[in-house]
Amino acid sequence: MRSCLLLLPALLLLLALPDTRGRYNDEFDDGEDLAEFDDNDFAEFEDVSEDPTVETESEPPPRPAPSSSPVEDDEDEATVETEDGQDEFEDADAQDQDMFNKYDQEEFEGYESKSNPSFKDTLIYREVPAHLQNSWESYYMEILMVTGLLAYIMNYIIGKNKNSRLAQAWFNSHRELLESNFALVGDDGTSKEATSTGKLNQENEHIYNLWCSGRVCCEGMLIQLKFLKRQDLLNVLARMMRPTCDQVQIKVTLNDEDMDTFVFAVGSRKAMGRLQKEMQDLSEFCGDKPKSGAKYGLPDSLAILSEMGEVTDGVMDSKMVHYIVNHADKIESIHFSDQFSGPKVMQEEGQPLKLPETKKTLLFTFNVPGMGNTSPKDMDSLLPLMNMVIYSIDKVKKLRLNREGKMKADRNRARVEENFLKQTHAQRQEAAQTRREEKKRAEKERIMNEEDPERQRRLEEAAQRREQKKMDKKQMKMKQIKVKAM
Amino acid sequence: MSANSMSDPRRQNKIFRYKPPTTDSNPTLEDPTPDYMNLLGMIFSMCGLMLKLKWCAWIAVYCSFISFANSRSSEDTKQMMSSFMLSISAVVMSYLQNPQPMSPPW
Repeated sequence: MRSCLLLLPALLLLLALPDTRGRYNDEFDDGEDLAEFDDNDFAEFEDVSEDPTVETESEPPPRPAPSSSPVEDDEDEATVETEDGQDEFEDADAQDQDMFNKYDQEEFEGYESKSNPSFKDTLIYREVPAHLQNSWESYYMEILMVTGLLAYIMNYIIGKNKNSRLAQAWFNSHRELLESNFALVGDDGTSKEATSTGKLNQENEHIYNLWCSGRVCCEGMLIQLKFLKRQDLLNVLARMMRPTCDQVQIKVTLNDEDMDTFVFAVGSRKAMGRLQKEMQDLSEFCGDKPKSGAKYGLPDSLAILSEMGEVTDGVMDSKMVHYIVNHADKIESIHFSDQFSGPKVMQEEGQPLKLPETKKTLLFTFNVPGMGNTSPKDMDSLLPLMNMVIYSIDKVKKLRLNREGKMKADRNRARVEENFLKQTHAQRQEAAQTRREEKKRAEKERIMNEEDPERQRRLEEAAQRREQKKMDKKQMKMKQIKVKAM
Repeated sequence: MSANSMSDPRRQNKIFRYKPPTTDSNPTLEDPTPDYMNLLGMIFSMCGLMLKLKWCAWIAVYCSFISFANSRSSEDTKQMMSSFMLSISAVVMSYLQNPQPMSPPW
């Protein structure tokens, strides 16, 4: 009994000692120690379960006095003790349910690991799913995506504004020249009256149009400012690999009396090679390889495609050469043609059945200096080129081939037409055949649909007579051919 | 400035109205990018919705942005808006169904 009295304060002291594993493990240890010391006293508690021992041991801290009495009692009064113990359990339950539960878990933690050490190896530590981690860092891919989108939007706005400023700068520097030459500057084709809008048509974020009309020697002039796609980030990145430059394309359409019949082109070698393959008229009329313009004083970087030498001599007068030499870096291509029909069209089923429509046209393609990094000031440097365009319009009106040249040109055109007809001969025959069959079928249907039997018979007879006549004619022709052959 | 410095080259009676060039005459000059990107965007957003792939949905958003940036001003805005909305809905649905963050392919 006295030993138990001594043990209790010892127990209390041990409980007071700090332990990293927690006081509850201590209690366990203490419990085991106590069992060693005095098996009898704690025997019944140990047998029942761990809980009661835990609860009895945790009891001492809050209420040392009442718990000591059941512990001190002898074995004879064991039943009373348990009853008392159990009462205390009930009280404890009523009072500190949560605390006991907490103690239970903590107690079992250490116990489990001690009793079953093998389980430690098979314990799998699952990662907490990222979306439950409550940290923004796990969403870094999404943040990257959104940042990319924001960068795209920023680039779109900046690129759009830059293109718009460049277009406006071009128009401001050229406005005076255009307005002094054309009655109508700027038209979008929608307004009822032909009044100058005085501004560019925006087709895209990177393409601007301007239509000028109302001048001698020409029908109209369409100017296209084809800027780089600065508003598209993908394009900007692609341009870092392969730099290209902004272009100004001018297309002057002429009336029939404004131009004589010739086809001519001058420009950078690369452009000439490309145009000769792509353009319908250049491939048909200018069959030879691009020639050097050194004879006229042009730099080596430029080449000439011409229908005949006389045309080149006529076009390349001193002023033209002067313009071209001074701005050779800005000139991509200059193309004069009376047979212009655009690029070669790829056909799905053989050639078209008739020649493509042609229009007398002057085409100019100029490169804006700066190779992409253009500033609005660079647009002023294109003004002399516009002067060249105006000069060309007037010049072409005055340029007339001599008799020999004219004959050659007419022969060329006849040759091209003949070639075309030959190529399409088979197609045209087929087309004619189908048309004839269609007619026959339509007639037969008409006869069938005719309700009156009398009229039906008459129509049938008429059709038969017509067929007979055709057969006779054919036979006659065959006979004639046979006679001729003989 | 003009070649005929004596007389005014402008002629009021020779005005021709602007006719927008038809697309039939030069199909090669047309830029196919906005149409392709539109189609791609729709395909990716459908993939993202059906197969619950987050990266598909994000690519669809990008495609519709690129299509918008390259589009012609004459094009229908309704088409643009519909592809936008489809791609954004694909992204939102993928995240509602599975709020886990996207895992990189590496």
